[in-house]
Amino acid sequence: MIQIRYRMLAVLLLLVALQFVLRPFLGDSRTAPDLLLVALLLYAIQARPGHAAIAGFVVGLLADSLTPVAFGAGAFAHTVVAYLAAWGKAVFFAESLPVSAAFVFAGSWLRDLLVLVAGRHMGERSLLWQLTVWSPLKALTTALAAVVVLVLFRRWLRVRVRA
Amino acid sequence: MTFAPDSFSSRRDTLAFLICLLLSLVVRVLPAPAQTALATAFSHSILAPFLYLQEQAEVVKSSRDHYVATIGVNDSIALRALDAAGLEEENAQLRAELGLSRRLPVSHVSAEVLQQALPTAGLMARLSVGRAQGVHPGAPVVAPAGLVGVVQSVGERFSDAILWTHPDFRVSAMTADGGVFGIVAPRGSASPNTALLELRGVPYQQQLPIGTTVYTSGLGGADGVYPRGIPIGTVIAVGEEQEGWSRTYIVRPAVHPASISHVIVITGEVGDLSGVFGTVGDGR
Repeated sequence: MIQIRYRMLAVLLLLVALQFVLRPFLGDSRTAPDLLLVALLLYAIQARPGHAAIAGFVVGLLADSLTPVAFGAGAFAHTVVAYLAAWGKAVFFAESLPVSAAFVFAGSWLRDLLVLVAGRHMGERSLLWQLTVWSPLKALTTALAAVVVLVLFRRWLRVRVRA
Repeated sequence: MTFAPDSFSSRRDTLAFLICLLLSLVVRVLPAPAQTALATAFSHSILAPFLYLQEQAEVVKSSRDHYVATIGVNDSIALRALDAAGLEEENAQLRAELGLSRRLPVSHVSAEVLQQALPTAGLMARLSVGRAQGVHPGAPVVAPAGLVGVVQSVGERFSDAILWTHPDFRVSAMTADGGVFGIVAPRGSASPNTALLELRGVPYQQQLPIGTTVYTSGLGGADGVYPRGIPIGTVIAVGEEQEGWSRTYIVRPAVHPASISHVIVITGEVGDLSGVFGTVGDGR
């Protein structure tokens, strides 16, 4: 069990490091996958909702520190998304790749929605473009990245994934 | 995956969630200096190694891009060398492409833009230079094509700059001949990939033709933030009119934040930069 936890921790740390190392090579930051969110969701779906909420709060606070436009909005959004992910996984989630991808897609889009609404820094039109164009594209690349991680590390993460 | 469905509705989990939500809201309403202090503290502690990784990755990417560009230029020169008459012109063009950095008559530092993931990243940029490189709050941030934004907060090795897309961004502007003045502010998005600016407060009797380039005016006295003569953008349409009083013009920005990976932060005294920048490019 301890070994599994270390493996899980290793995957999460790898994702966090890749988030910073790969970002310059992933092109437009508006569509680049958010590996930090992938790490958070991977943790959240295997943790208790309370622990997931705390992890979400910490990750959100760190994200806010990197982009201090609306400090606290990221913490709020990540807390909600991580809590819902942990709760939703227990109730609804089937272990299949398409459902996992849809789960991450929804989490990424919801995170963006909550950050933008809580931040209240964008005009109506900018908000609309962000939520209908850029956030779905980012959610899509994030979901694809999550699928790759799940396939590559399914044994370490103890995930039974079906296509 | 393992679950414990019976424990998911536990009060402890709900309590942890509510406490985290409450803390998020507390952090959200903290005064700006306290928020900046928190962000700086995290950036210089737990995030420092990751930001260092990102900075190094940016350097590697730049080195690769420069290498590819250099190979291209070398190949191009080798081909053009066959045509001696065109060689001089080619050299002049290459010298011009060496960069804004050598032309700037004020002290400045180059910086990488460390792109982040939050959807608000288009409003603010984290730069790879800080107090150690002489950066200070209020320092203008520019790219070869024109104005990018202004430094808002500074750490030892990093700084945060609000970009012209930020709702708080304002800059005093003028036309090239200094005949028309106004205030430039963000206008919002015309399409997913085109954010626009607007030039406000232009007197009604003064008309600006479409295509007029707008520059920073340098107004603000000794405390002025922006040097005179940095391109901001190009007038593309007339916006709102206050009959008999003033007009607002829609301006296509010279630089789009999504397209920049490197910027220059002006650290020296504010002066006149007229003529230093090239022609205003397409801001898309």
